[in-house]
Amino acid sequence: MMWTNVRAVIRREYMQRVRSKWFVASTVLAPVFVIGLTGVPVYFAQQGDEAERTMAVVDGTGVLYDRLAPRLEEAGYDVREQRWHSDVVTELRQAAEDGVLGGFIMVDELTLETGEAILYTTTRPNPIRQVTLRSAVSRAALEFQLEQQDVDAEALLSGGELRIEMLSETVSGADDPQFFVAYMGSFLLYMVILIYAIAVMRATLEEKTNRIVEVIISSMEPWHLMLGKIVGVGAVSMTQMLIWLLVGGVAFASGLPMLIAAQPELAELDALREVLPGLGMTALFVGFFVFGFFMYSGLYAAVGAMCNSDEEAQQAQFPVLLLLVVPIVMVVGVIENPSTSLSTGLSLFPLFTPILMWARVAGGGAPAAEVALSFVLMFLATLAIAWVAGRIYKVGILMAGKRPTVPELWRWIREA
Amino acid sequence: MTIDATQATGDGYAIRLDGVTKRFGKHTAVDNFDFQVPRGVICGLLGPNGSGKTTSIRMIMGILHPDEGSVSLFGDDPDRTRREKVGYLPEERGVYKKMRCLELITFLAEIRGVPRSVGRRRGGEWLDRLGLEGWADKKVEDLSKGMQQKIQFIGTVIHEPELLILDEPFSGLDPINQDVLEEIVREFQARGTTIVFSTHLMDQAERLCERVCLISNARKVLDADLKELKAAERKGVVAVEFEGPDEWLEGPEVARVDPVNGGLHLILREGADHQQILRRGLDAGVRFLRFDLVEPRLHEIFVRHAGAEAATDAGVPASVGGER
Repeated sequence: MMWTNVRAVIRREYMQRVRSKWFVASTVLAPVFVIGLTGVPVYFAQQGDEAERTMAVVDGTGVLYDRLAPRLEEAGYDVREQRWHSDVVTELRQAAEDGVLGGFIMVDELTLETGEAILYTTTRPNPIRQVTLRSAVSRAALEFQLEQQDVDAEALLSGGELRIEMLSETVSGADDPQFFVAYMGSFLLYMVILIYAIAVMRATLEEKTNRIVEVIISSMEPWHLMLGKIVGVGAVSMTQMLIWLLVGGVAFASGLPMLIAAQPELAELDALREVLPGLGMTALFVGFFVFGFFMYSGLYAAVGAMCNSDEEAQQAQFPVLLLLVVPIVMVVGVIENPSTSLSTGLSLFPLFTPILMWARVAGGGAPAAEVALSFVLMFLATLAIAWVAGRIYKVGILMAGKRPTVPELWRWIREA
Repeated sequence: MTIDATQATGDGYAIRLDGVTKRFGKHTAVDNFDFQVPRGVICGLLGPNGSGKTTSIRMIMGILHPDEGSVSLFGDDPDRTRREKVGYLPEERGVYKKMRCLELITFLAEIRGVPRSVGRRRGGEWLDRLGLEGWADKKVEDLSKGMQQKIQFIGTVIHEPELLILDEPFSGLDPINQDVLEEIVREFQARGTTIVFSTHLMDQAERLCERVCLISNARKVLDADLKELKAAERKGVVAVEFEGPDEWLEGPEVARVDPVNGGLHLILREGADHQQILRRGLDAGVRFLRFDLVEPRLHEIFVRHAGAEAATDAGVPASVGGER
């Protein structure tokens, strides 16, 4: 019974937001944007003429064609061999002009020594294709040369392998330092926490400035209202992320192979697959977000409650914003040196934890015990913030007039 | 002077304020305020701007906490009874502009413990009743100010409270809608709802109230049953209509002269004898069309007790708008 009003606030907050144009736009447009980003090149690639992708190889060496052809095919060309004869250029040029052929590559003894080759083509290949073609030729030559030396050319050319043996204990499953995941994840956490915490502040401010809060506070405890708003906005954020995650997953699972099929030179994107976080990491990400959101939305609710206008809130939020910006500034350092005592200490400070501990975990430098400890600390910090913010909120939400000074705030907290 | 005509005891009060004081810094907004409203009574809280009406109401509603004194509702801790038993229409009206009308009403019902389905049904009935059928699914921001005010009123009564506290409920409404609202307030009273409303419209208070409480400068000036108050104050006002000179109006007995309905109301000083005035008029050769001891209007009572200055501050011009 006591919670029916909190539920009502949550429902109202959730429904109003989920139905708003802003939510629909940001939720739908973000994935549409991402899909567009991947889909449009696919579309363009499929527009390419069959003939343009037919590539003839004129091999003056007799050894390069077998090594070059698979590489070109991998890059999306239909390859055919053309024997060398004195009129070969004229003949192939004619074929290209007739539209049967996209172009042809001439390789000879010089190619074997320097990797030089000549591409005759009707349309200038884009820079990525140029790189692909060039590396296909040079690798084919290199492979031939290495085989002459009787070494494992394939292993060497594929980049070798670096095995990492950790000398200290780390979180299992994260033993491959992944700068990309660590950095992008931290940045994403910063963004979503900030966006939704500010949404809580705005909602509080709106209620306060349009005065409906008097009616509501006369029917329920201020901290019930605050809790309802935070949970409501939090539920909206989770909904949005869930939609993104699902759409992203589907797009990645089905879209990427399509993209690579159509645009084979992007095959390296497939490596993203290994880099993307698994279920455990995703859960950890959500955990960091939830605590981060609760801590910061509590602070932002208090900021909203003590202000009377957007301009005032803009200024008053600065100290809170700083708490979010500091870790994002330090995140690169922490990813690079995840195990120093400075990194450890900073990442255990609850308000920095979501961003910095994530960076350490994803970067592979945080022991499980420290991660667990950070969650305990965040939990305690959430309670403390709820207590303090609740008191500021309770007094501030009904207060008109000028913004409180720090001593006044302290009195609110003590006396509320 | 305090006239307390209430016989009700302890829990017979819907509202009881004992020695309530509220200060803002050095300014005392409400000073040692005792105020009781018996159940089922409709009571007007009157006073000039800044006299402490809204502060008192906010303390009753728990929005402000008194520095001294106590507030009880229905003889109980107000925090426990307030949510479901009290409907509150604040002076500064706020709505969720982006919400649809019926949703807002349902939400306001829900936070007072009314199930959603019941809230929706009642809300629909009220919208029909107030001529807002067809607006249920419109956003509040699309409504005119007056319509929004009706939505707010519906939100105030949607949980069928036993006590209605309305801060300046009539301000901003056109005369027709003032009448509609007045009628609804009467209906609630007929059902046994206790109603307290603040207003600066003395005539309205006079029409509606059974009790009045006058506040001036943070202090209670009067708190009484209106009928008894008027009877007790009857001796104080003479209505006159006459032909001839008017110098005789000035005299030691007359505190003030107000033009009312084409005639004049002479407000007498305490203890003054109207016979003296009549004699002076006749001596001056005045031909009287009317010389009538009347019930003082609430405005006059207020002036008598709080002083003309306070009445003018209240935004009540010396005499505007006739009696019905």
